[in-house]
Order: sequence, then structure tokens, then C-alpha cells
Amino acid sequence: MVDMTTTAVTYTGDGRRTGAPVVSFENVSKSYGAVRAVADLDLQLYPGETVALLGPNGAGKSSTLDLLLGLRNPDAGRVELFGTSPQQAIAQGKVGAMLQSGGLMEDVTVREIVKLGCDLHPRRYPVDQVLAAADLTEIADRQVNKLSGGQEQRVRFALATAGANELIVLDEPTTGMDVSARQAFWGVMREQAKAGRAILFATHYLEEADAIADRVIVLHRGRVLADGSAAEIKAKAGARRIVFDLDGHIGEAALRELPFLASLEISGRTVRIQSHDADATVHAVYGLGLYPRNLEVAGLGLEQAFIAITDAATAEEAAL
Amino acid sequence: MNTLIKLEIARTLRNKKFMFFSVIYPAGLYLMIAGGASTTEIVQGTGLTLPLLMMVSMASFGAITAVLVGNSERIAKEREKGWVRQLRLTALPGRGYVTAKVASAAVVSLPSILVVFLVAVLVKDVRMGAAWQWFALVGAIWAGSIVFAALGVAVGYLATGDAVRPITMIIYFALSMLGGLWMPTTTFPTWLQKVAEWTPTYAYAGLGRSIEQANAPEMKHVALLAVYLLVFAGMAAWLYRKDTRKS
Repeated sequence: MVDMTTTAVTYTGDGRRTGAPVVSFENVSKSYGAVRAVADLDLQLYPGETVALLGPNGAGKSSTLDLLLGLRNPDAGRVELFGTSPQQAIAQGKVGAMLQSGGLMEDVTVREIVKLGCDLHPRRYPVDQVLAAADLTEIADRQVNKLSGGQEQRVRFALATAGANELIVLDEPTTGMDVSARQAFWGVMREQAKAGRAILFATHYLEEADAIADRVIVLHRGRVLADGSAAEIKAKAGARRIVFDLDGHIGEAALRELPFLASLEISGRTVRIQSHDADATVHAVYGLGLYPRNLEVAGLGLEQAFIAITDAATAEEAAL
Repeated sequence: MNTLIKLEIARTLRNKKFMFFSVIYPAGLYLMIAGGASTTEIVQGTGLTLPLLMMVSMASFGAITAVLVGNSERIAKEREKGWVRQLRLTALPGRGYVTAKVASAAVVSLPSILVVFLVAVLVKDVRMGAAWQWFALVGAIWAGSIVFAALGVAVGYLATGDAVRPITMIIYFALSMLGGLWMPTTTFPTWLQKVAEWTPTYAYAGLGRSIEQANAPEMKHVALLAVYLLVFAGMAAWLYRKDTRKS
């Protein structure tokens, strides 16, 4: 898994966001038929930020990336990269992107396709350097159609980093990569971030967002639901997790009456609680005369926080 | 852009099956149609023998086959696979993509023209008055095929997946027939003859016929082809940049 201890870039708060934005969405909307994929989205990314884009399936992540890269045009609002249109920014060689939906040319070798990527880039790097950075040197002469899923991902990565981009956009970049490839991948990305590049990535692996991003944006039904550091997102979920075992009879009705309860789950002798005020809840457990064993109190992981936030939003919408 | 053109040409040459059939097929068709025909009898109204007449028709037809059918299907497939999406994230301009596709098509059409000529000369003993006519014919048919290569790129963008083959075939047969590549347009009703005169295939075949008759190409044919090239290439480049559908 991802090494959590050596995150190169730390979140520096709003102080960092002083320069001109790299990416700017202003009231952007996009619908496909009756489906509203992106709704009034406002979003700014700044130089040097590493931003994770999270959201359940259908939250509008892919649509947002398509709009950002100018592959689609918004129905309303404005998308700008480096103060110009996405197409213009791409033509100037400021943007590198790795899309899941991006296919590769067939009947060519890895070296040929990567060389093509370099030659097309206005601020290209040498081919050998790009191949080495993507760990493709050994398979440079292999046919592109004969690669495994993870190797194909590395070729896409090479194409996204063929030149000196100022913004790198990655859609589910490590899908299909094994653990060591994933680590190497994020190692390279950290170097890019250190060099002052903005990195935006959509991911399913929440631990990657937790370990790598200094800013996490949670999308839900085309809107920004939460935007902050991973710690802030966890805090926003506003709950902590309490787990303990009980001997003998478990009075479920009494447990349901505990204060600050967000959720309660009983399986066998184990009680799992999410609480908005863990101290008060635990205090009340003792107040019931119970003797909880193996008591654990912990913050929510990003994944649980993410689920809590999106579930709450879904429930809120259902209530309207 | 030059890298893309070179790479497109290289991978076309590597696709041996496609190359083989594109090159052999028009020559085979030529033998079937003109194989038993008299080498001295003149086809009415043309001043040319059937083997000579069919040589140009089949070379033109073969060139169109190679560039139109090959291009549209490959492009539709590349769009489906997402390669075009990937390319659109590079600084490559729309005309770069179209130029590369047209160039790789031209690599296929040239040998298919030469093989038809070779078969005509060796098997049917076809001769022309002057040597310049041979060079001019190869050049005209080859250059003219670029118009249809551009059309192929545009069709590859308009149609998706399963639809691309039938659509290409309809365009291909309609243009081949209307333009008189299979039979002289003089057999058509008058109104259809008027329509046929404005097709790119008619101008294309007309170019070759003028050279066979040792005349200078008609300006109308050249102009018509130039206009079609601009329209098709412009449409292809526009569709490349505009193509925002996920397919």
C-alpha cells in the first residue's frame, strides 16, 4: 500500500492559494439529457497543490475532468486553465493528462508511442528520460497491443509526463498497477509536485487520497460537498468510532438512547457506534451500569468520513 | 506532427494483411472485367480500347477502396478505443491528424495503382502513345485519391462502431457508380447524368481519361476535385476537434 509517512507535500492552508489559479470553474453546469452531471460547480486549483477528487460513482468526476480538459463544453459557466481556454492551455503544453478512457495506438512499440508523445509536446523531455521515469525502459521495444493493464497504465502515464507540464490531471491513475508500481508512481508524482506542479487526481483508493493529496474535494451529484485537507474532511464528518464488547445481555433499546449517537451496530457481543461526541457517549455507557471490554475510540478513516458525508447528503436530498 | 505522419505510415506498412488485399484486389478485378476483352476494338465514344479504359477505372477504384474504406474503419475503431481522446490531449492540431491519416492512406493507394498498371501492360498488352502519359496517369490517380482519403477521415468521424461499415459502403458504391467508374455515365438517364457530372468520382475518372486520350486535364475536373478536397479535409479537421462524444 501507499507509504503514509513520507508525504512530500503538506497542506499549507489558504496561505498557499495566493497566485493566479491554475484551474478555474465558474458556475459550470453540464447535463446529458435529463441527467445533470455537473451542477453550478465552482472550483479553483492553485500552483503546487496536489488535489484528490473523490466521489461515489456518478458524482460527476469524469465529467468534471472532461470539462477541465476541454473534451466537452459546458452548457453554462466558464472553465479556464491558466487564464485561457483548456484547448489553448493544452496547445501550449501546460497540461498533461492521463485518462481511463484514453486508448493507445496499435501496431506500434512502446518507444514509438512515447516518442510521439514527446515530439508532440511543445516543452518535451528526452524520450529515454520519460521511458525511465515511467519504468518502461525494459519493455520499450514491446508492441503496445501486447501489454498488461498495468503496463498500459504506465504508457499513459508516460504520455501525460512527456514534457514540462504545469498541471497534471490523472483519472484513476493506479488502477491495474501492482503495489510496487503504485508506490513508484506516487514517488514520481511527489517529485512533480515538489517542482511546483499542480496535480489533480480522481481515485477510488481513499488511502491514496489520504496519503498523497494536500487537498481533498468530495463531489456529490455534480456539486462540491466538501473541500479541505484530509484531516478537515474527517473532522467534517463529525463523528468518531467507538467499539467495545459486552458480556451477558445487551439491552439494545437502552443503547439506542445513548447521547450523540450517529449510528449503532451490534454483531454478537460487539457493539459499534459512531458518535458526534465520543467522550459523552462513552460516559453514558458507563452511566448505564455497563462494563464495556476492549474499548476502542478512534477517528473515522477518510473512507468512513467520505461515506458519512455522502450518505448525509443523500439523506438530506431525499428529505427535501 | 512529422512523427505522427511517419508512425502512421510505418504501422500501415506493418499491417501486411490489409496491404496485401488492398494491392491485389483491384488488379484481380481488372483481370475479371478486361481479361477476355479485345485489345484492339475501340469502345464507342472514347477512342480507347476496353483494357485501357478499364485500367484507369480499376486503378481509380482500387485507390478509392484503399483510402476510403481503410481510413473510415480504422478511425472509427481508434475513436472507440479512445486513442483519439488521448491525442486530443496533446498539442497536435486537427490538420495534423488529418494529414497523417491521408498520408498513410496514400502509401497504400500508390502500390495498388502500380499493380493494376503492371497487370494491364503485361497481360493485356496495354500501350499508350507517349511515356509522359504513364507518369501523368499515376500522378493524377494518386493525387486524386487524397480527396477520398480525406472523405474517409470525415466518415470515420461521423459514424461510430457498427454503423461505419455500411455507411462507408453506401457512399463508396454510390460514388463509384454515379461517377462512372463501373460503366460509362452515358447509359444513365439525362437528369442523372447531370448529377453525376458533379460527383468527385466523375471528376477523378475524367482526369485519367483526358490523359489517356493525350489531352490536357479539364480545368473543371481539377477545380471540382480541389473543392471537394477542401470540403472533406475541413470537415474532417473540424470533426476531430469537435468530437466530444464518448463512444
